[in-house]
Amino acid sequence: MPPLYHDHSDDTSAPPPPSIAISIRQLSKTYPVPLARLKKFFRRRATAPVEALRGVSFDVREREIFGLIGRNGAGKTTLTKIIATLVQPTSGAVVVSGFDSVRDEVAVRAQLGLATAEERSFYWRLTIEQNLTFFARLYGLNDASARARIAELLERLELEPLARRRFGELSTGNKQRVAIARAMLSSPSVLLLDEPTRSLDPLAAAGTRALINSLARGSDKSVTVLLTSHNLAEIEELCARVAVISRGQIRALDTPERLRAVHKNAERVRLIARGISQEVARAALSQALPGFALSEAGHGVVVQFTRAVDDDTLDRALRALQSAGGRIHACDSERATLLDVLEKYEREPEEGEEQ
Amino acid sequence: MKRVSRFFGRLRAFIVRDFQLALSYRIQFLFRTLEILFFVTTLFFVSKIFTGGVVTSYTQWTNPLAAWITGLAVLNYFMTGFSSFANAIRQEQAQGTLEGVLMTPVSIPTFIVSSSAYDFAQATIYSSLYLLFGWLFFDVRFQGNFLLAFLFLIITTLVLASVGILSASFAVVFKRGDPFGILLATTSTLFSGVFFPTQLLNEYGGRILGGISRFLPPTYGLDGIRRVLIQGQGFNEVRAPLFTLVLFLVVLMPFSFWVFSRAVRRAKREGSLIQY
Repeated sequence: MPPLYHDHSDDTSAPPPPSIAISIRQLSKTYPVPLARLKKFFRRRATAPVEALRGVSFDVREREIFGLIGRNGAGKTTLTKIIATLVQPTSGAVVVSGFDSVRDEVAVRAQLGLATAEERSFYWRLTIEQNLTFFARLYGLNDASARARIAELLERLELEPLARRRFGELSTGNKQRVAIARAMLSSPSVLLLDEPTRSLDPLAAAGTRALINSLARGSDKSVTVLLTSHNLAEIEELCARVAVISRGQIRALDTPERLRAVHKNAERVRLIARGISQEVARAALSQALPGFALSEAGHGVVVQFTRAVDDDTLDRALRALQSAGGRIHACDSERATLLDVLEKYEREPEEGEEQ
Repeated sequence: MKRVSRFFGRLRAFIVRDFQLALSYRIQFLFRTLEILFFVTTLFFVSKIFTGGVVTSYTQWTNPLAAWITGLAVLNYFMTGFSSFANAIRQEQAQGTLEGVLMTPVSIPTFIVSSSAYDFAQATIYSSLYLLFGWLFFDVRFQGNFLLAFLFLIITTLVLASVGILSASFAVVFKRGDPFGILLATTSTLFSGVFFPTQLLNEYGGRILGGISRFLPPTYGLDGIRRVLIQGQGFNEVRAPLFTLVLFLVVLMPFSFWVFSRAVRRAKREGSLIQY
């Protein structure tokens, strides 16, 4: 099946292709109807099999923060669970750091850390330290390395003062931090983060985002992050590339800027400059911009123009105003968001589907 | 060698985890100990009703209290053998912790064996308490080769563990309503000779009812252990029940592993491995 999209994110420059952390090829998953034969025998009406993924192919590069966006039921969780070896694909292959997720599932799990927003995946009556020690031993760490690693992670995630508190007594934000600490226990090369900031307050969410950023760009050992989220601003802030998944298929894959640009290649820019008169601004801008609207506002001017998102018009306008003695007071632009992109692909009919 | 040490490291992790969880419910151990003490005391008084009235042809039952507490101690161990694997899966599924555990590089057989290790340790303590209370307070004396009795205990537990793995396979696929557990738990007490000699089933229930006990591994385990501990019999005299148990083991163990691997594959295909 040919891909529905073209991955443009490699088109830019000439550096050698980076190593691949996760390689997904023609991945399909159809959930069979449980006990279908038994239901048929008893003449019970069985529901149809659910096709969760269809011909999904893409690569996640080493040290990249890769975003996966899509509506509920689009296939994000199934994809994450297949990579995590918790669900078996119907066809296709997932290779994580060179290991096949079906044939070498234990080796794949040794490369992975998974953090979800599911609070129930810990022992609520055990302390943070006891929980992490248990999981560290399952990862094969000996006592000394487990202690050292746990101490390091508790410090890094600012959980040290809570180490002896029972997991059930923690706030949602701290539970989320413990989930990330567990995912990092074995120093994995790949982190799967499934809605890591769900139900966090804005400050806690910002802290978690900063943490994810630091993990991927760490100076010691960087990790590759596959991030699924419904928070599109978060995806835009963190991810180098984003895949849009809809009805089990990857519909688009590119950098957030290019995805927006493909959707809407132009943006409306509004500049406010102070300390410059309307006449001087007009003279300076006429040489820099092909077309613009100018009005006076307070002690300065308001300039509005439309530009292609990746051209240098904004640079030229800013330089022209500053060279003419103006101070840039504000600069806004109205452009397509990832939400617009997502909506576009959700509205588009599927292959073979009538509009 | 590295694999073995890693296995034991993980086994220890599960035992420590379960011990820490048990410590968070401290009073439970005390209540269970008292429960065993009260039950053994009750059986002591019930046994006094039969003083002098026991039919001598049932040689293992000349002291009914000794027969009962041996039966209960051993049954407690057997039941752990066959129920702990399925319980381990069900409990982790219900708590929601299965996903976290299965995300680590631990194979599913290692997970199942390790997560039921604490249950066995606990069952050893509770089973010993039956025997200890009988010996300490009610003058029950055991004789014979304790190592041979232990061999019976281990083989019967392994046979029941095979049934337990079948039961766990059922839990993996269907989540609840385990027919093996229900069948074995309800039939063992009645047909395996825990509270009365199995010969009585033949005498009062006929050949069909009496025949049922022959298909239950705990019958042979209990019979062997009582022969050794109460009658003081040696290896040559207990060969028949011992070989029958080995036969059960040879058939059931590989079969249960085969069924379990199929069940896990099926649950992964259906995406229901971590669902409850």
